[in-house]
Amino acid sequence: MDEPHPIDGRHIRGDRGILGGLSFRSRLTLALLFAALTPLLLYGVVAVVFSLTLLPPATRGLVDVLFVAMIAVGLLVLPIAMLSSAELLRPLRSVARSFERVPAGDLSSPAVVPGDDELARLAESHNRLAADFHHRSQQVGRMLEAIGAMSLADDSETLARRAERDAVRIFELIQSTVYLGPAAEIPAREAIPGEPKPLRAERRVGEEVIALLGWLPATSAWARADQDLFELFASQVAVALRNADLYAHVELQKARLVDLAAAKEDFLRGVSHNLQSPLTSIRAHAEQLGRDHPDRRLEIIAEQSDRLSRIVRQLMTVSRLESGAIKARSDVLSLGPRVRRACEALAASDVEFTLVDRSGGWLAVADADQLDQVLWAVLDNAVKHGRRTPVSVDIATDPDGSRLILTVVDQGPGVAAGDEARLFGRYQRGADGAGEGGSGLGLYVSRALCRMMGGDLILNAPSGRGASFSLLLPAEHVEEG
Amino acid sequence: MSLGSNSADTHVPRILIVDDDPDLLVVLADRLNDDGFEVSTARDGDQALRMMRSGWPDLLIVDMMMPRLDGLRLAREVKSQADLPIIVLSAIDAADSKADMLEEVAEDYVTKPYHYAELRARINRVLRRLGDRVPRQGLVLGPDLTLELHRRQAIVGDRTVHLTPTESRLLYALAANLDRTVPTDTLLTRGWAETDDADPSYVWVTMRRLRQKIEVDPDSPRYLLTVRGVGYSLVRDGRVRDG
Repeated sequence: MDEPHPIDGRHIRGDRGILGGLSFRSRLTLALLFAALTPLLLYGVVAVVFSLTLLPPATRGLVDVLFVAMIAVGLLVLPIAMLSSAELLRPLRSVARSFERVPAGDLSSPAVVPGDDELARLAESHNRLAADFHHRSQQVGRMLEAIGAMSLADDSETLARRAERDAVRIFELIQSTVYLGPAAEIPAREAIPGEPKPLRAERRVGEEVIALLGWLPATSAWARADQDLFELFASQVAVALRNADLYAHVELQKARLVDLAAAKEDFLRGVSHNLQSPLTSIRAHAEQLGRDHPDRRLEIIAEQSDRLSRIVRQLMTVSRLESGAIKARSDVLSLGPRVRRACEALAASDVEFTLVDRSGGWLAVADADQLDQVLWAVLDNAVKHGRRTPVSVDIATDPDGSRLILTVVDQGPGVAAGDEARLFGRYQRGADGAGEGGSGLGLYVSRALCRMMGGDLILNAPSGRGASFSLLLPAEHVEEG
Repeated sequence: MSLGSNSADTHVPRILIVDDDPDLLVVLADRLNDDGFEVSTARDGDQALRMMRSGWPDLLIVDMMMPRLDGLRLAREVKSQADLPIIVLSAIDAADSKADMLEEVAEDYVTKPYHYAELRARINRVLRRLGDRVPRQGLVLGPDLTLELHRRQAIVGDRTVHLTPTESRLLYALAANLDRTVPTDTLLTRGWAETDDADPSYVWVTMRRLRQKIEVDPDSPRYLLTVRGVGYSLVRDGRVRDG
């Protein structure tokens, strides 16, 4: 299972023979020793055999001398062999060191091997490879830098001009052009020997084509890898141009929306001002006249102008809710008096209102202005859809004790089956047709305002006659402290 | 009238109403005159500024949408020169972003069509604070509390907390009487108008909520102290008072 991977350099091992356990230098030293000592040994063996068989015994001391001389020569040859192997290995080491620097990213120091032998050629070929690698790595670096500098905020014209300058710098071109348009309109250019060489890379973007064209000096080489990089750069330029277009489009839309929202706000302010100002005048004059000459008709004028201005306000609130330009303040207040006042403001003297306030010891936390809008709308809804039957309001605390629940019940026909779901929608009127006079916005606005104040407005399940709505509001317990 | 209202007691309060609607000016000026105020009127912000050169009113009532100098710019201009109380009377909803900006420089906001009784109650409440003096440049109460009431905010430690108009009004009354106890009833008349149907429980609950906002430890307050059965006091340097 421990099969070495063929590409993993650490596992590539050739057949290293019987001396495989020794280093290359030791093996070279042994080889040199072997080469130097073998003739000497052979010569010694021949000399010994010769002296033992052919020379008189008296001269055999010479054999010993020869023997010692052989050993001495052997010992002398060992360091020479070691030094020679070291010397022979030096250029190889230099090449190896240079190889080792490549993965570490150092491509600038070449392997130096003098001469014209195999080792020198090996070093030269390595140096060429390293230089090529170095060049390519710098090219990729410049390309990444250029891609990194492509900003969404630039317009496509600026991006294209910068891409042209970058292409010239990265690929050492004479000139470069970014072309954007239908594929058929991109000028075709022919390569003429001895003239600058035309380069071309294109990417389709939607209906159009983005082409990166360039002129390479006639003396420069252009390899497959160069073309690959050139095409990669072209596709990045195409993406950047496309993104810039989309971004500009989005920015334009955003600016338009902001302008529109501001114009709408201004318009609404104007409408509100222009509608409410005359209503203010009507109301103030009716009130003043009524003070001097009390008359029910003047009261009706004041009440109806109030009603109209509340409906105008409801319309303005809807618009602000939609644009999110509405905020709730949180003040503490007692619900009872506000309900009483809302009932009076309805000017429905023919409808009987009862209020049971069981909120003793608790105050609601709400925005007074917005709460008044909600109470008026919910009570108005009860009067209209309850067909002017008695309306009862009950204020109680939630069993958890953190909320006040205000429930409004009428004695009318109740909410028709199927109406529950769309009751709180915009511009919705009950199927009974009773809401014809209203804006159809009351419950929608009321629920949104309640939720903004941290509460809610819900329709209760039917129990007996009439419709029952509950307004839930955050509450605080009353104690001095 | 109670605390700090000596000026309102000794002379007829002067009110300047600025609105581009002549009908409203006439009707409102008449009613306020009848109620004993000295009323002058201006049709736009420029005219109002010219009139104020010859003498400051006690209260300014401004409309927001006016030709030439609008309510917001007029209010800012006035506030840069004096701490003159301003009530905005406008058809623009109080929830509008523009109204929100105006609230920074105005004491109160009344939406048109107004009910005279309510406007009158608000005027009374605002006039009660005449004579109170609170530094406009921010009131440093201790290392972890600075009040910037003219901007409706407090700096608690390194946080800025927003104050509601009611909360700022209560703090304004307390800050004008620093280190002294302000009775709950006085605070009630400073924080709420008669038409708000408020009672002392409003003060208690609002003070508790305020303490949650401005005290580092609301359970052992250092700045906003309760004087049980009497009222509240705002103290400097976080000194803890007995009882």
